[in-house]
Amino acid sequence: MAVTGKTTQLADERLVELSLDGDEGAFGLLVRRYQRRLTAFLSQLVGDTELARELSQEAFVRAWSALERFDPKYRFSTWLFRIAHNLGIDQLRRRRLQTTPLYRTDSDGGEVEVVVPDLDKDPLGHLENRALALELRQVIDGLRPEYRELVLLRHFGGLSYQEIADFTEMPLGTVKNKLFRAHSVLRKALTDFL
Amino acid sequence: MIQGEAPVATDCQTIQEILTEHGGELERLDGAESQHLEVCPDCREAAAAERALRLIFARAIPPTDPVVEERVLAALRPVRIRRRIVAFLPVAASFLVALVGAVMVGGVPGSGILGLLPEFSTQGWMAFATSVSDWGTAVATGARAAATTLDPALLAGAGLVSIFGLVGVVVTALRWRRVSLWREDR
Repeated sequence: MAVTGKTTQLADERLVELSLDGDEGAFGLLVRRYQRRLTAFLSQLVGDTELARELSQEAFVRAWSALERFDPKYRFSTWLFRIAHNLGIDQLRRRRLQTTPLYRTDSDGGEVEVVVPDLDKDPLGHLENRALALELRQVIDGLRPEYRELVLLRHFGGLSYQEIADFTEMPLGTVKNKLFRAHSVLRKALTDFL
Repeated sequence: MIQGEAPVATDCQTIQEILTEHGGELERLDGAESQHLEVCPDCREAAAAERALRLIFARAIPPTDPVVEERVLAALRPVRIRRRIVAFLPVAASFLVALVGAVMVGGVPGSGILGLLPEFSTQGWMAFATSVSDWGTAVATGARAAATTLDPALLAGAGLVSIFGLVGVVVTALRWRRVSLWREDR
């Protein structure tokens, strides 16, 4: 399919149909539409930009391979993000098994895990304002896991509240409430940058 | 927190949830909600903070990486070939079923057909084409002969198997065609 203004506006579901009919251009449009947000979401999830690129690629390949099993009554976006999310979680589990955390003793005599930042892999490494990047990294990592996932889906995955509700299988009202609370934390922590 | 005497249609949390959802865009608020905002400094502050937060997150997403798209499309190619091969298996199986049915109806025709498989010469191919034509004639003749000698139930069963196989060939071939027709542009 030749990419024109009209074709780029086609709904995901129509592009899936065209892809199933053998139209590589249609699937290419889906890739173009989602790769930035999917990679950004995965970068935050796994904390490594290059790994996120690989996982993003794998997610698209898996989506394409399973396209015939995609149920059009669901949204393509949530289906794709679920594939990516599962890949990311698998990767985190595997990494936890493979690595041994380093600890140092803090001033109170307790053990604190040593985090060695790798600027090349940092998903926020492209931000010119390093102080903001650092603060954002800390506040996102410090969020409660249930808030963190919603924030990643919303702000890095670019999903709507309804898509997040579908993805997490939470009622829409719960998603709204949790994101409101998460934003309260974010606003408080990032006051200096707002 | 509400100040003044303006009519309050809703509370701060509801307003701020809406502002959170829409990145602090005031256009998303209805009349009563906008009135609330006019008299509520907390909600106005929340709206401004949400707009700033939206900008921070917009900047936090890395720019589009064209390499990812190229890599994805390149990675699909071997998957496509594998998928095409897998999709062809039902076509082959259906063809086999149709052949078994035909053989059951008409016996094994053209016994010399394997011996006439094309050699690397024009004559070989001509002989093959002739034998295929003979094979068709033989099937028809065999079917007529079988009709007089075979149990009608067996014959009917064989006919059904053959028809089932042919239908299968058509259906699976259409599906296979769909899978195999993966075009860059059309």
